[in-house]
Amino acid sequence: MYLLISPENTYAINMNQTTRSFLALTKASLKMYYRNKGAIIFSLLLPVALMSIFGFLSKGGGSSLKISLSNHATSEISKKFVDVLKGVDAFKIVEESEETAASELGKGNIDLQVIIPEDFGNIEDGKPVASNVQTRFNKGKPQSGQVANMIITQIVSGFDKRLTNSQTVLDVKSEGVTTNNLGYFDFILPGLLSMTIMQLGIFGVAFSFVSFKASGALRRIQATPVHPIYFVFAQAVTRLLVTLATATLLVGLGTYFFGFHMIGNYFYFTIVAILGILIFLGVGFAIAGWAKDETQVAPVANLIQLPLLLLSGIFFSRDGFPSWLKTITDYFPLTYVSHGLRKIANEGADLTQIPGDLIGMIVWVILVYAIAIKLFRWE
Amino acid sequence: MPDESTILEVTNLTKTYDTGLQAVKGVSFSVKKGEVFGILGPNGAGKTTTLEMIEGLRPITSGTVILDGIKTVEQPYVVKQRIGIQLQSSAFFQNLKLTELLEMFSDLYGSTVNPMELLAEVGLTEKASSLVKNLSGGQKQRFSIATTLVNKPVMVFLDEPTTGLDPQARRNLWELIAQIKKRGTTVILTTHYMEEAQFLCDRVAIMDDGKIVAIDTPDELIKQLLGRGFKPNVEVPPATLEDVFIDLTGKHLRD
Repeated sequence: MYLLISPENTYAINMNQTTRSFLALTKASLKMYYRNKGAIIFSLLLPVALMSIFGFLSKGGGSSLKISLSNHATSEISKKFVDVLKGVDAFKIVEESEETAASELGKGNIDLQVIIPEDFGNIEDGKPVASNVQTRFNKGKPQSGQVANMIITQIVSGFDKRLTNSQTVLDVKSEGVTTNNLGYFDFILPGLLSMTIMQLGIFGVAFSFVSFKASGALRRIQATPVHPIYFVFAQAVTRLLVTLATATLLVGLGTYFFGFHMIGNYFYFTIVAILGILIFLGVGFAIAGWAKDETQVAPVANLIQLPLLLLSGIFFSRDGFPSWLKTITDYFPLTYVSHGLRKIANEGADLTQIPGDLIGMIVWVILVYAIAIKLFRWE
Repeated sequence: MPDESTILEVTNLTKTYDTGLQAVKGVSFSVKKGEVFGILGPNGAGKTTTLEMIEGLRPITSGTVILDGIKTVEQPYVVKQRIGIQLQSSAFFQNLKLTELLEMFSDLYGSTVNPMELLAEVGLTEKASSLVKNLSGGQKQRFSIATTLVNKPVMVFLDEPTTGLDPQARRNLWELIAQIKKRGTTVILTTHYMEEAQFLCDRVAIMDDGKIVAIDTPDELIKQLLGRGFKPNVEVPPATLEDVFIDLTGKHLRD
C-alpha cells in the first residue's frame, strides 16, 4: 500500500483545503480523546499512584543516606565543603580513614564513600587548582548511592561556580548551595515522566489507532478526497498535546505535594520530553500500522515496553548492571530520554551539555519512523 | 462511444490479488445518469471488489473506469471529490456526535452543509447530538448515507446498505434511496436481496464468480427467464411472509 501521496494525486492538494482537512481531523481526534474518560483516568492512574508512593517514601525521611568522608585536604574551602555536606538534611556523615570506609562500603553499611584529595581548594597564582572529589558507592544499593552522588555533584558544581566567578575564595557561602536540597524524589520524577511518555506513546497510540483501522473508520476517511496520512498526523498532534498536558500535570503535582526541585530550565526539559514523545508515538504507530487488530497489539507493545521499563534506569541506576548489559542499555531510547531529563532537572544541564542524549533521541526518531513507514498497512 | 447520458463506463475490469486469487474477471457495464443500478450476486461474487475499484479505493489490475468523464486510475482524488461512498461496515468514530461528524466530513470535501437539514432528510433530527455509538443498526445505516451526501455527489455508492436490518428499517431505507434518486443523483448499490433490487433498481447486473452473467432491467430479466420456459416449482402465493410480517407489525420504525 502506498503511504505517501503519489505525484499524480497532488493536484488536489490545495493549501487551504489541506489545512481545513487537517484541522477538522485534529478537532475530531481531540474530541474523541476528551470523551474517552475511562482511558484518560486509566492513563493517569499508574503514574500518579507511583509518584505518590515514591513521594511519601522519600518524604518520610527516616532513611537518611550514610556517607563516609575522608578529607586529605587542609584548605579553607575543603573545610567549608565538609561543613556544607554535614548540613545536608538527607546525609548522615562519618569521618573516617579511606581503608575503614572501603570495608564499610563493602559490607553495605554505608551508601557512599567520599574522598577529598589533598589539593582540593588550593589556590595557585590566584587561580583554583583543578581537583576531583572522588566518590564510590555500593553497587548493591545503587539508588541510594546515585542520589547521594547527585547531591554531592550539585554541591561541588556550586563551589566551582563560586570559585571561578569571584577572586576571593572565602566568599564561598554555604547557604547558596544547600538550597538545592535534592532527594530521591527528584531522581524519581524524571524517570516517572519517561515512563509516562513511553506508555502514552506506545499503548495510547497503538490501541486507539488500530481500532480505527479494524473498525473501518480509517477506510471511511480513505473514501473521501483526503489522504488518510492526514488522520495519522492529526492523531499524532493530539497525542503530543495530551502527553505534554499529562507531563505538566505530573510535574505540577510533584512540585506541589512532594517538593520536586527543577534545577535546570523547563524549556530544555520540554524539548527533551517532546523528542521522547516523538520516539514513542512512532513506536505506537509502527505497531498499529503493522497490526490487524487489538489482539496483535498487546503482546508486541508489552514485548517492547517491558525491557525498556526495567533496563533504562528510570527508577534505579544502571550502575549495578554487568558491564555488557550497561553497554547495551546505553543505547535504549528510554535511557536517553530519562538521562536527558534527569541531567536538566537534577544538575541544571543545558542542551549543549547533553549532546549524546539529543543525538541518540534524534537517531531513534528517524529509525522509528522509517520502520513505521515500512510496516504500515492501511487495512 | 458512450452517449451523453452515461455517467459511468466500466470496461474489462479485472482484479487479481497478490495471492493469485482472481476476484474480478473482466467486467464491463455502463450506468446512465439518474438511474439506480444494482449489482446482485452471492457472497464472494466480486461485487464489493468491483465497487471499490470504481471508487478508487482499490488498485485496478487491468481495465478502465471512466466516471463523470474522468479516469479513476489517473485521478482518484478528483473522482472521490465527486462521489459519495458508503462502505459495507458503516464504522465511524464512535465518540463523535452526528452533527460533528457531518461537519468533519464536509470539511474534508471542502464543502459547506447544514448538518440539521441533512439529518432531517434521513430522519435523524432527534439524534443530532447523540454519539454514533448510541445509534441502532438502521439509524447507523441512514446516518452513513447522510455522510455520503455532504459533498452533493453526482453519484453515490451503497455497498449492501440493508444487510442486517429488520424489515421496517429496510423499507425505510428503500424510501430514502428512492428520495436520493428523485434529487437526480445516480445510485449504484449492491445487494443480495432480490425483492430489494426489484423494488429499487432501474437496471441490474447479476454477478457470479467474478463475472457478469446477466445485465438488464428486472422486468426484462424475468421475461427472458419465463421465455426460456421456466415454471416456478411451487405455486407462488400472491403475498409473501414479509407482507404478513409488515401487516402485523406495521411500517413504523423501531429504532
